[in-house]
Amino acid sequence: MAPVVWSVETAGGVEPFSYEFLWADSSGQIMKQQSSSPTWQWWPDRAGTYWLKVIVRDRFGNRAQSHWSSEFEITRPLIAALPLQNLSSTTAPLAMIRTELIALIQDAGFDLVADSDLQQFMASQRMRKVGGINGRRAERLKEATGAEALLITTLELYDEQLPLKIALLCRLVSLGQSPEILWVNSVALGGDDAPGILGLGLIEQPAALRSKALEALVTSLTQSLAGAKRVQPLPGKFQPKMAHATQERGWTGKAKVAVPPFYNVSDRKYGGEIMALHFLEALQQSGRFTVIEPGVVYDELLRFRIIMDDGISIPQAKAIFNTFKADFVLSGKVFDYQDTKGDWGMPVVDFSAEMLDNKNSQLVWTSKSYNGGSDGVFFFDWGRFTTASAMAAHMTRAISGFFAQ
Amino acid sequence: MQISKSATDAFLARLWFWQRRRDRRCAKLLMLSALVALAAGCSLSPRTYHDPNMDFSMIQTVAVLPFANLTNHKNAEDRVRDVFMNMLLSTGGVYVLPAGEVARGISRSQIPAGSAPSIDEIKKLGAVLGTDAVIAGVLKEYGEVRSGTAAANVLSLSLQLIEVETGRIIWVGASTKGGITTTDRLLGGGGQPMNTITEEAVSELIKMLFKG
Repeated sequence: MAPVVWSVETAGGVEPFSYEFLWADSSGQIMKQQSSSPTWQWWPDRAGTYWLKVIVRDRFGNRAQSHWSSEFEITRPLIAALPLQNLSSTTAPLAMIRTELIALIQDAGFDLVADSDLQQFMASQRMRKVGGINGRRAERLKEATGAEALLITTLELYDEQLPLKIALLCRLVSLGQSPEILWVNSVALGGDDAPGILGLGLIEQPAALRSKALEALVTSLTQSLAGAKRVQPLPGKFQPKMAHATQERGWTGKAKVAVPPFYNVSDRKYGGEIMALHFLEALQQSGRFTVIEPGVVYDELLRFRIIMDDGISIPQAKAIFNTFKADFVLSGKVFDYQDTKGDWGMPVVDFSAEMLDNKNSQLVWTSKSYNGGSDGVFFFDWGRFTTASAMAAHMTRAISGFFAQ
Repeated sequence: MQISKSATDAFLARLWFWQRRRDRRCAKLLMLSALVALAAGCSLSPRTYHDPNMDFSMIQTVAVLPFANLTNHKNAEDRVRDVFMNMLLSTGGVYVLPAGEVARGISRSQIPAGSAPSIDEIKKLGAVLGTDAVIAGVLKEYGEVRSGTAAANVLSLSLQLIEVETGRIIWVGASTKGGITTTDRLLGGGGQPMNTITEEAVSELIKMLFKG
């Protein structure tokens, strides 16, 4: 789960040097990477046997090269995949979705902990909560199964009535005393997202839509672990409608953020948990924040008997700051998180967010966002959003962009 | 005594003239009264009060209490309060305490939920939260109103700023936005979205607050 760091030592020659890193796999294919730095982080995108070599050129083009290294093996980490957390408030084929997801992950070259081992561990630990993991349990899971990472999947929306809908949030968490989020992504699809001419693009089979959503997640996982950065366009309509930031929120490096569940006043069950997960995704993907694993946060909230009535209070925020050495606590309120059933209506998302600073326990950011699925749509449903999840992902990303600035 | 016919006619004619003149005066007075009433009803002057003896620059931190909801809409007071807190903080004029902190203060001060706090309770709350003033509000109208076939959204909100130290009301403001316009009646359309109306009303109230 860590990059392979190449480091080159040179003697002689005239600076500046340029470096060419070459690596060959067992099929004989040679790949290369140019760099002006003597160190380079390599994220292997698949397991296998590799040989390495470096060529260095100095200012005048003098060339020196190393021999091919002895072979070394890149292995994929062992992953444990928890049963799905269902926040969709509907009955859904959770086991089937998990089986399909596991099959795709195995196809991508990952090794997974056997189901029987995982079930045995969960039974021995009386582990019923599958939406997160705390440090103590993460360490025990690692010891018991040898897994290095845990895949936590949340089903946010599932509707088999036409038009079909599915929304999933998935994250990979390292196992150890302090679990860290290694990757997180969400996918939200509607069967009528791209109907095309004469409705030829409509997806009307639940299995087809499930497969499309799961493939998107697994592709994102493999690309992310190979070091690829995903940059998605962000439509302007998802910017917060009002926002306030104080001047004192500057920080260097990565800031540590705790995101407890939002206070939910919407009619959507689990609206607060879902919104917190979307913020987790947006903040983690921004690259400026390290988000504390929600399982760890929930555990501490429970330990301190913290009930957030109408939002987070200063003493509660201080308890979180002290426990996690967090720089910020992000919380908020969800007013609407509404998906539609059938052809009519549009999804609506309405929430406010606030960020408390560890330095002076004051608000350094507040914002209010609301959008409807047909906002800014004028012709032929162009730009229409069919799920609240897809909108929430964009809206939280717009806010995290502001935070990160 | 004999009264000639011509004198009687002249008297009746004069009487008729005065009656006509009085009627016209009454009509004029009535019209004037109606105009005054209409002008008062359509007045654009804001409904606000500022305590002339108060130095508003002393108010640095404000707690916005949960608004009373006199409408049938569930959580409408929460939505409006959230917009108000956001916009008030955005002005940079005062620091607004987080809603969760206010909830903690209310719980610690043992103020019954949904009630208008007394002066003593306000003072107690101020001491717990360390705030200079509290804002209490009443949401009087929220949502759709109908008149015949026309429908539009409307919001009516009144607020009070209460100084914590003395428990005095130092500012009062009220705003009503939205409603059915002539265009709505003639062309339909359903008025503006609720979020837009809320922002307009809150923006007007904040302007009133900082005008004093």
